[in-house]
Amino acid sequence: MGDTDRYRGGGHRGYNNNKRKRFREDDDYDQGFRNQRQRQEPPPGTRIRRGLIEIAEDHGRLPHEVAANLAKLTADNYEDEYVKEVFSTVALKLVGEQPYKIPFVAAVVLYANAEKAEVAQNVIERAQKQTQEALEGGHWRQFKLLLRFLACLSPLFEQDGVMPILDELFNRAADLQTASSEDAVGIELVKIILLTIPYLLASSNDDSLPQKVAELLEKTEIIASTTHALEALVDPYPVSGDQEEKAMTCASVISLLQSQLTEEANNGWQLACIPRPYDPTFKPAAAKKDEESELNGDSNGEVQEPSKHAFPSINVPSPVNPGTRTLLPEVYFSLFADQEIESVPPTSNIAASLMRDATVDTINLLDFNRNVVAKYLTEIDCFWTKDTFVKRSTAFDKLKDLPAGRPTWKSEDVTVDAIFSQIFQLPTPEHRLVYYHSLITEACKISPGAVAPTLGRAIRFLFRNIDQMDMELSYRFMDWFAHHLSNFEFRWKWTEWQNDVQLPDLDPKKAFINGALDKEIRLSFAKRIRETLPQVYHPLIPVSKEKDMPDFKFSNDNTPYAKEGREVLALLKKKAPEEEVQKVLDSVHEQAAALGVADPLVPSTDIYMTSILSIGSKSLSHVLSTIDRCKDRLLNIGQQSEQARRQIIASVVDFWADHPGTAVNIVDKLLNYSIITPMAVIQWALQDRINRGRALASSQIYEMVSITMFKVTNRVRQVLRERNNMKLSYEQRKQIDDALPRERQGMRDLFNAIEDAVSAVANGAQDEMIERFDGEEPEQKLITAWGSRWARVWRRKAAVEEAIVGEAVVGPLEEDPPVVEAAEPEQEAMEDFDQV
Amino acid sequence: MAPFRFQNTVDRLDKPSSYTVGKHKKRKRNANEEEPNRQPSPELEDKLANATTLYVGNLSFYTTEEQIHSLFSTCGEIKRLVMGLDRFSKTPCGFCFVEYYTHEDALDCLKYVGGTKLDERIIRADLDEGFSEGRQYGRGRSGGQVRDEYREEYDPGRGGFGRMVQEERMYDDYQ
Repeated sequence: MGDTDRYRGGGHRGYNNNKRKRFREDDDYDQGFRNQRQRQEPPPGTRIRRGLIEIAEDHGRLPHEVAANLAKLTADNYEDEYVKEVFSTVALKLVGEQPYKIPFVAAVVLYANAEKAEVAQNVIERAQKQTQEALEGGHWRQFKLLLRFLACLSPLFEQDGVMPILDELFNRAADLQTASSEDAVGIELVKIILLTIPYLLASSNDDSLPQKVAELLEKTEIIASTTHALEALVDPYPVSGDQEEKAMTCASVISLLQSQLTEEANNGWQLACIPRPYDPTFKPAAAKKDEESELNGDSNGEVQEPSKHAFPSINVPSPVNPGTRTLLPEVYFSLFADQEIESVPPTSNIAASLMRDATVDTINLLDFNRNVVAKYLTEIDCFWTKDTFVKRSTAFDKLKDLPAGRPTWKSEDVTVDAIFSQIFQLPTPEHRLVYYHSLITEACKISPGAVAPTLGRAIRFLFRNIDQMDMELSYRFMDWFAHHLSNFEFRWKWTEWQNDVQLPDLDPKKAFINGALDKEIRLSFAKRIRETLPQVYHPLIPVSKEKDMPDFKFSNDNTPYAKEGREVLALLKKKAPEEEVQKVLDSVHEQAAALGVADPLVPSTDIYMTSILSIGSKSLSHVLSTIDRCKDRLLNIGQQSEQARRQIIASVVDFWADHPGTAVNIVDKLLNYSIITPMAVIQWALQDRINRGRALASSQIYEMVSITMFKVTNRVRQVLRERNNMKLSYEQRKQIDDALPRERQGMRDLFNAIEDAVSAVANGAQDEMIERFDGEEPEQKLITAWGSRWARVWRRKAAVEEAIVGEAVVGPLEEDPPVVEAAEPEQEAMEDFDQV
Repeated sequence: MAPFRFQNTVDRLDKPSSYTVGKHKKRKRNANEEEPNRQPSPELEDKLANATTLYVGNLSFYTTEEQIHSLFSTCGEIKRLVMGLDRFSKTPCGFCFVEYYTHEDALDCLKYVGGTKLDERIIRADLDEGFSEGRQYGRGRSGGQVRDEYREEYDPGRGGFGRMVQEERMYDDYQ
C-alpha cells in the first residue's frame, strides 16, 4: 500500500488544506500527488501518526474511545511495515516531547496489546533502548519521561515493573548525597523517583505496591527534607527585613513532592488529577473485521486475556553519569498558590507538582514552536482528569461563588504560573527569556479574555513585592513587562500605581516604574508612551526625550572649551587631517593645565568623544562608522590615562542622558573595540558615578554592568570550551590552558570590584555617606537596601561562574588520545553547563 | 522501503519560510533552463545550515535602528544591522537585515521574535543566506519594496497606499 505522506514529517492538521491555509512544510514535496489523491481517506499509517500526535486534544471525544480505536487501527494494519515503524516512532517521540500525552499514548499501547501483543512488545523494546541510552547519557529529563511512560504501561508487565529501578535510583542518590552536601544530581534522582510514583500507582492494580512505595518514601524522606546547602542562592524572595512577612515561601521541589506524596498516601492514593484513559473492559465499537485480519495468527474471533510481557532490563550505572547540566537545587515558584482563593492546586497537593512538571517540560521541550505550546497550554484541561479545572475563562471573582466541592483551579492560572516559574528561574532558565515572553504573548493572543486578567494578577503580585524580590529577577520582570506591553498597544492600568509616582526615585517601586517606562520607550518612542499614560506620569517622560538627536553641549558658550568643542566637531565633520584636530586638542590641554586640571586629557577627551557622538547621533550605524574612523585616537587615549578612558564612558552616558538605552549600546560597542575595558565600565559605574549609592537604583547602571560582565564571563567560558576542544591539537590546547588563569583572574578582579563597591553601600560605609545621611534616615535605608540587593545578585553570579570555570571543576588538561577522534560530547557538555 | 523520517511531533518555526523555499526552487529551475550545463547551486538547507543573518520584514518606515536593536538583541549580540533603504531617497523602506554572531542566535530569533510585534506591527523574520552590498535597497519601481507598489490597503506605517495606486488616484483627480 502506498503512503504518499510518509516523507513529510509530522504535525499536519487536516488533510485537504486548501492553498491559502497550507503549513510551511507542505510546500516542499509531493504537490503532484496531493491533487491526484484529494478527497481520499488517508492511508492507515498517516491516520495513526496523526491520531497519535493529536491524542487527547479533542475535547469532544472520549479519550478511552480515541485510544482504543487508534489501537485497533494499528493492530489491524500491523503487517504494514510502515505502520509498524510509525507507531513505535511516533509513540516514543511523543513521550519525549509532549509529556501531557504520556498517559494517553500508554493507553493506546495497552489497548493495542489486547489486540496484538506484538505492538506492545515492539514499543517496550524501543522504550528500553531509549531509556538505557538516556540513563547512560545522563539525560535526566528524557529518562524521567520514559520512566513515566513505562510506569503508565504497568499493566503490561509480569513482575514488579519500574519499582526495582526506583530502588536502584535511590541507592545512587544516597551515595551521591553522602559524598557531597552540594550534590545536585542525587537530588535530581530523588525528584525523578518521586515524580514517577504517582503515575505508577495510578496505572497499576498491584495491591502490594502501596506498601513498597511507603518503604521507598521512608528512605527518600531524609534526602528530600534536608535543606540543600545552595538553596539560599536561588531563593527568588530572600528574607530582607526581620519582621517582614515573606512574599513567597519557595520550598524546594523535592521537599514539596515528599510531603505531597505522604499526604496522598494518607488519602489512599486517589491521585485524582492523573487521567486514566485505559479501561481494560472497554472494547471499541468499530471492531469490525476485515479480510486482513486472517493474517493475524492470534485473531480467531475470540477475545483473549491481554498478553503480559517481561519488564525490559534497564541497568542503572554506578556511578551515574551526572549529565550535562549543573544542577542547582530547584525551588517551587508560584504566584498564585496558597492564597485565599484556590485558583491553582495548593502546594500541599501532589497535583501542583505533577501539573507543574509536565507543563514546564512541555514548554521547554517544544521551544521551537511557541504557537503550539500556547495552544496546548490553553487546552491543558484536556490532558488531566475531567473536571480537574473550572471551565476555561471562568473569571477569578466567580471562583468564590462556586458551590463547595466544585473544582476552583483555573487552567489559565496554572499555566501562567508555570511560565513565570521559568522566567524567574535562578540562575538561568533553559531557554532565552524572550521565548517565555513570546509564549505569554501567544497565549494571550489565543484567549485574551482568559489570560489577560491572570497576567494582571501576576503583575500586581510582582509589583507589590518588588522590594523583596531578588534584584536580577525584578529586572527580568521589568523586561518582560515592557516587552509584553509593546505587543499589546502598551495598555496597562497605570492609574493603579499613580500614587507610587510620588515616591522617591530610590524606592524600588518607583525605580521599577522609571525603568519600565524607559524600556517601553526603547521599543517605541517617547511621545507614543506618554500618550498611554495618565497625566501624573507625564513628568517622568520630559519633552527632551522626544528629541531624536541631543544637543551638542559645546554649542552653548557657557560650556567650558565651547570654542574648541565646536572646532573639533567641524574638523571631524569634514574629515580633516589628524594634525589639525591635534592642534585644537593641544590648546585644550594647555588651557586645562593652566586651570590646574589634574589630567588635561580628560577635558579634551570629552570634546573629542562628544563630537563623535554628535556626528553619529542619527543612528547606531552612524555612530559606529564614526567611532571606527576615529578608533586609533580613542584607543590611544585609553592607553595614556585611565581617567580619560573613563571619560569616554561618561561622555557617552551624558550625551545620551535622555536615551539611556542608546548609551548602553554604544558602551557595549566600545568594549568590543577595546577602546574601553570592562574594569573601566565597572569603576566608572560603581565609583565615579555611584553618587553615594544612588546609582544602584538605576536600571541603566545595572544593565551596563550586566552586559559588561556577561561579555567577560562568556569569554572565559569560551576559552575553557576551546581548551577542552579535543579537535584542537595538544599544543593548541596547552596554549589556551596557559591563558585560562589570566582570563579567570581578570573575571575575578571584576567580581571583586563590584563586591567591594556594593558591599560598601550595603554596609553604609560608602565614602561621604555617613556624614550626609545624618537625619535622612529613610533615604539611607533605601540606599543600603539597594546595596544588599546588588551584593546578593553578584555574589550568586560569581559563585555560578566559579562552578563552571573555577580550578576546582576544570580538572587537568587532557592528553591527546592515542587515536584521534572528535570529542563531540565534551563540547556539548560545556554548552548547557550552566543551565538547570 | 525508505525509512520513516520523523523529526518532531510539531512543526518547527526555525526553518526557512515557504517564500525562501519557493524563491530558491524558482531560481534553480531558471538556472537550469538558461544554462543547462551549469553546476547545480547548493541545496537550500546547506546554504542556510550556518546562516547567521535574518531578513526582517513588515517594519514601519519610521522604525529606528535603536528599536530594532532593543528587540533583536534579546536573542544574542547583534553583529551588524543593515537597514533597508529606498533606492532613490535613501530613507528606510520597511525591512532590514540583522546579523548575529552565531547560527543558534539566528534560529532563536526565528523561534522567539519572528511573528511578534515591533513598533506595534507584526514583523516577519526569515533566515537569509547573508547580506551583500546592494541588497539593502528596495527593488520596487519607485525605489521601495515591491510590495509597497501595488498595495491597495492604506498602511500609515508604510507610506499610505501603494505608490502605483497613489499615482493612479492622482491621475484620477486630474480627469
